[in-house]
Amino acid sequence: MQYQVLKKSSFNDFIASLARIEKVVAPVARGYNTFSFQEVKDGQDVAVKYIPTILPPKKYFFPQREKLIEFNKSAGTLEALLEYEKMVIFGVHTCDLAGIQCLNMVFSDKPKDINYLVRKNKIIIIGLECNEYCDQYASCKVVDNHLPNGGYDLFFTELTDSFIVHVNTIYGDELIDKTRLFNPAEQIHLDQLEAVRQKKREIFKDEVKVNHNDLAKLFDKSFDSKVWDDLDARCIACGNCTNVCPSCYCFDMLDNLNLDLNTGDRTRMWDGCQNEPFAKVAGGENFRKTRGARQRHRYFRKFKYPVERYSRYFCTGCGRCTRTCMAKISLKETINALVDSKEEKK
Amino acid sequence: MSKPRVAFFDFTCCEGCQLQVANFGETLLDILNLIEVVTFREAMSEKSEDYDVAIIEGSITTEHDVERIKHIRSRAKVLVAYGSCATIGGINGMKNKFPLDEIGKYVYQDKAKHFPTLPTRAVHQVVKVDYFVNGCPVYQPEFVKVLKCILAGIPYAVPDYAVCVECKLNENVCMYDKGITCLGPVTKAGCNSWCINNGNICYGCRGMVTNPAKNGQMDILKKFNIALDWIINKLDMYNKPRELDERK
Repeated sequence: MQYQVLKKSSFNDFIASLARIEKVVAPVARGYNTFSFQEVKDGQDVAVKYIPTILPPKKYFFPQREKLIEFNKSAGTLEALLEYEKMVIFGVHTCDLAGIQCLNMVFSDKPKDINYLVRKNKIIIIGLECNEYCDQYASCKVVDNHLPNGGYDLFFTELTDSFIVHVNTIYGDELIDKTRLFNPAEQIHLDQLEAVRQKKREIFKDEVKVNHNDLAKLFDKSFDSKVWDDLDARCIACGNCTNVCPSCYCFDMLDNLNLDLNTGDRTRMWDGCQNEPFAKVAGGENFRKTRGARQRHRYFRKFKYPVERYSRYFCTGCGRCTRTCMAKISLKETINALVDSKEEKK
Repeated sequence: MSKPRVAFFDFTCCEGCQLQVANFGETLLDILNLIEVVTFREAMSEKSEDYDVAIIEGSITTEHDVERIKHIRSRAKVLVAYGSCATIGGINGMKNKFPLDEIGKYVYQDKAKHFPTLPTRAVHQVVKVDYFVNGCPVYQPEFVKVLKCILAGIPYAVPDYAVCVECKLNENVCMYDKGITCLGPVTKAGCNSWCINNGNICYGCRGMVTNPAKNGQMDILKKFNIALDWIINKLDMYNKPRELDERK
């Protein structure tokens, strides 16, 4: 374990010198208490205190729209495309680190997604600890993402007048060397870090009426719950929840022909289970016709199916789905309603 | 394959959607390699009654319109409703909120009897439509997409999900977070959230999604404290003739 310290007064210099070495993206304030990851040149551009961005940093690993193939009909040729960019993402909260870990598992699974994996190797991740809850929508404790759990090259924790930085990889170590603004941590910094973590253990409590280990079991018995009928009546299927989710990875494939009617490309674009046409197949059959069934599917894709396949929850606790829901459907309220409806049956 | 002969026609509209074609710039040259434009009042003097594809801008608002659109339909192999007025009735649909004679008198006063009028209808409410290009004005990249579908002889499906979907992908700050009412949540996507990307709200010019979740939407109005008649007025600016579909 290696810890370094960066004085807060050197933070702007750190981002500026980093930006001279690589493209740097970080959370930037957009007004109305909204943020998004954008390119920054200086520390002043960075919103160090921020609530989860509109879209998670997923967009850099798995872009909203991505050309995969270019083809030429008359020549009978196909060319696989792979566009990537070296960059450093600064300020990734533990929830979003977990999101990237989820995607890593999915896209490393067979068949491997080469575009994703190549891009992932070109991106350096600098995590940033939340010393307290970002807002009332977060549920990081119940999915155990409130404390760092790997998935980063460097990890920043804010102390009184400095950041203590955990160096986790050789790439992180190189950035420390290149920027020359860090000093090795002393015992006093380590003590302060432990105090931050201790305080967090007190502040962060299970946000719902069920603990981490029993969540999957709750969903095992909730397929026919009345709770989904309630969501059916309230959801408007705007797709906001799946579009902002750090672990949703569904996409649609589109073949586009250019106006020469000979060349074209195959593009993938984010898609989501809440969209009306998503589960529609040829002939017009729709396997998840109702909004309630689609909402249930979304929850099961976070709390049940990935547990069976990847042994982890795919909810990262970031709270984005609740924050962005037009109908104010709340993840925490839904889970609590499932708990309550089970108890009523007893 | 010989180039399909394409004719543009305008009914009750501002002809702004056709202007989108004239405004294509270089892309227009590529398009003209694929089609032969035989009638296009806005850009050329020649006319022809011999066409394969009829592109219709405007809504149907008079008996004369009805006769004319039926005639065009009988001659065209493919008929495209083009722009909000043609696809959903559009702005002209606001007329349907008032009794016809009242509207006639308001506009033409004592000459109203010389201007007989009908409730505004979208083109598909009068004749069969093969392709829909929604929007006020149409979104050029979508028109190109539809054109390619016509040339390939395959259907084009207007995305039947909310503008919010594309808006989120573009990572716009939600208008509701700014305290502004936006019709994105009920309006069909396909415009790449054009207006919101440029700081405006969605006015619903592409028509409502087919399954707009009435109960859920009512909940939302309550939550954001938006009066029902106010939002219906907003919707009716473009979407009033939808009622004629619902009655069917």
